[in-house]
Amino acid sequence: MAKLFERRLAPADSPLAIFAATVGAFLAAMLITAFLFSFYGASPFQAYFALFHEPFATLRGFGYSLVRASPLALIALGTIVSWRSGFSYLGFEGCFVIGATAAGWIALWTAPGARIGPLPFLLFLPLVILIAFAAGGTWAALVGLVRARLGGSEVLISLMSNYVAILILQYLVSGPMRAPGSLPETPLLPRATWLPFILPGTRAHAGILIALAAAGLVWLLLQKMPLGYELIVTGFNRLAARYAGIDVGRRLVLAAFFAGGLGGLAGMAEVLGAQHRLMDGISGGVGFVGIIVALLARLNPLAVIPTALLYGGMSVGADAMQRRASVPSSITFILQSLAVLLVLACDALRYYKFNPSVFGRRTPPSVAKAVSE
Amino acid sequence: MNGAQHMGSAFVVTWLSASLRLAGPVLLAALGETFAEQSGVLNVGIEGTMLLGALASFLVSYYTGMIWVSLLVAVLVGIGANAFLAWMYVTVRASQVVAGLVFNVLALGVASTIYRRALGNSAVPESIAMFHPLHVPVISDLPLIGPALFGQTILFYLTLLLAFVAHFILFRTNFGLALRASGENPAAADSAGISVYRMRYVGTLISGAAAGMAGGYLVLAQVGLFRESIVSGQGFIALGIVIFGRWNPLKAALAAMVFGACDALQLSLQIFGTGIPPQLLLALPYVVTILAISGLFGGNAVQPAALMSPYVKD
Repeated sequence: MAKLFERRLAPADSPLAIFAATVGAFLAAMLITAFLFSFYGASPFQAYFALFHEPFATLRGFGYSLVRASPLALIALGTIVSWRSGFSYLGFEGCFVIGATAAGWIALWTAPGARIGPLPFLLFLPLVILIAFAAGGTWAALVGLVRARLGGSEVLISLMSNYVAILILQYLVSGPMRAPGSLPETPLLPRATWLPFILPGTRAHAGILIALAAAGLVWLLLQKMPLGYELIVTGFNRLAARYAGIDVGRRLVLAAFFAGGLGGLAGMAEVLGAQHRLMDGISGGVGFVGIIVALLARLNPLAVIPTALLYGGMSVGADAMQRRASVPSSITFILQSLAVLLVLACDALRYYKFNPSVFGRRTPPSVAKAVSE
Repeated sequence: MNGAQHMGSAFVVTWLSASLRLAGPVLLAALGETFAEQSGVLNVGIEGTMLLGALASFLVSYYTGMIWVSLLVAVLVGIGANAFLAWMYVTVRASQVVAGLVFNVLALGVASTIYRRALGNSAVPESIAMFHPLHVPVISDLPLIGPALFGQTILFYLTLLLAFVAHFILFRTNFGLALRASGENPAAADSAGISVYRMRYVGTLISGAAAGMAGGYLVLAQVGLFRESIVSGQGFIALGIVIFGRWNPLKAALAAMVFGACDALQLSLQIFGTGIPPQLLLALPYVVTILAISGLFGGNAVQPAALMSPYVKD
């Protein structure tokens, strides 16, 4: 006699099953959050309309969604590179800050009359990309080095390093790099160093193009290049990788460098594209939301872009929701994290086979056979 | 006694007493985390649990003024939140790092939403009833060590007592043995008749209770108000202290004192005005924790062997 839920030996891993589990979990998270809205006396429909209308149905709002999506996508890509290599790096908040600081510093040096002086943008852009990548990458590679050489836990060390990076930036903007004025921030970066705006009438900047290019490159690296294959093998089974002649320690440090570099680019995109100056608190949790984006995209580099757009858009919509439906914007943190937790929980469901035929005779035998297969 | 000598002893007194004061909450959280890790669960979610505990105790103390009740509610909130986490870790068998980390974001969202709901957006810090430092006649007035050792709040002494209790339970009782077996070799523990799932649930719930209480400790004995940044990595530092203390409650107590001393150094130096930028001093406890757990001083071999690996009963 078939049971209603039968345990499988391995989870159903067809794209349909994975897609269904992800979307189902997201809808469940939206349902739970809808109850929270009603605590605020707001109708869930109104609140969700406010949450999704502005970022995705207005041009101006969509521009802001792209602005928020760029760093999220880059950090998510960094997460994918490191986690698929078996390096559980959580220090993207720090890489973001370090990359932003490096980019801001270089940009200030190219102000008229400063140390370097104005550079043509086509020379400045590759330079700043290189430096932000190297700065963020080195910051993360240090943790990789500790892990590879000394065996320290990268989970905790990278979490701690976030606070160190944030305090370094706090020191710089309240001391050596501080602009005259009451706020701890640098002067406005020279107009020539800003990333170009790409959609007329919006604030959308070229950072999203950098994120798109990075997504393509990460996909190439992991799917098509021998180095990416070695990274993934290292992530799957370190002993097998070593047995196959892969220098595991070196691959870990390299994965950390790439991941941190992408985190650094995220900081660069934010400071040159959106903020146009360095200030305290520039990261504001983006390093963790970026990890969540990667998880929801199932560590797939191509799925990162739409997921980052969804999450970036939700953070834009959250502000609109706070204005219109007077629901605090922090509620989107709940929705965003709940979705991932439920995705994890729904993955457990993929271990079960659902037998609707238990309910009896009305199911035609042909359908029952197709379902049970 | 001349001026310089007086300055020196005043510095040592404030430094020592602040060291112990700041060590309290992280030690409490680390003691609970030791149980979770000895059972095989790395509970990264204690950072968020501390935040929820801090909010719960703040709200209860704000509305009722009863500090012991506030502390109890913080413990219960910690247990409740970690029942969900334990389900994720043990039953769903999700990656422990992922589930704990995402839970921290969830806790931040929940805490700031509830706080705004309860007190509105008025940025005026509300003050609440708090635990006060004890004052024992004679010994609290001893020079140097008097105010530091005998002038703490009752929560500090309770935490110290709990360190000894935790050590006894872990290393001198059958329950402690079963818990450690579940983290060291779950398959062997299982065949010896120990329910590994139950041990891991219990370990995670203990860490939740301690982290919730540590959040209450922060609010009720140190800060006196709630803000979203009140925990700011102290849960993560507690994780570091567990490693630095080699998964042993008494060594964790010493490790927490070292952390407290670094944290307090920044406070004392700021009071006495040195040229060192405050941000660099603030980074000191994090840097020291990184160095302590980097493996430079060995110790990774003592880690429970099955830490972070979900157990599947065949």
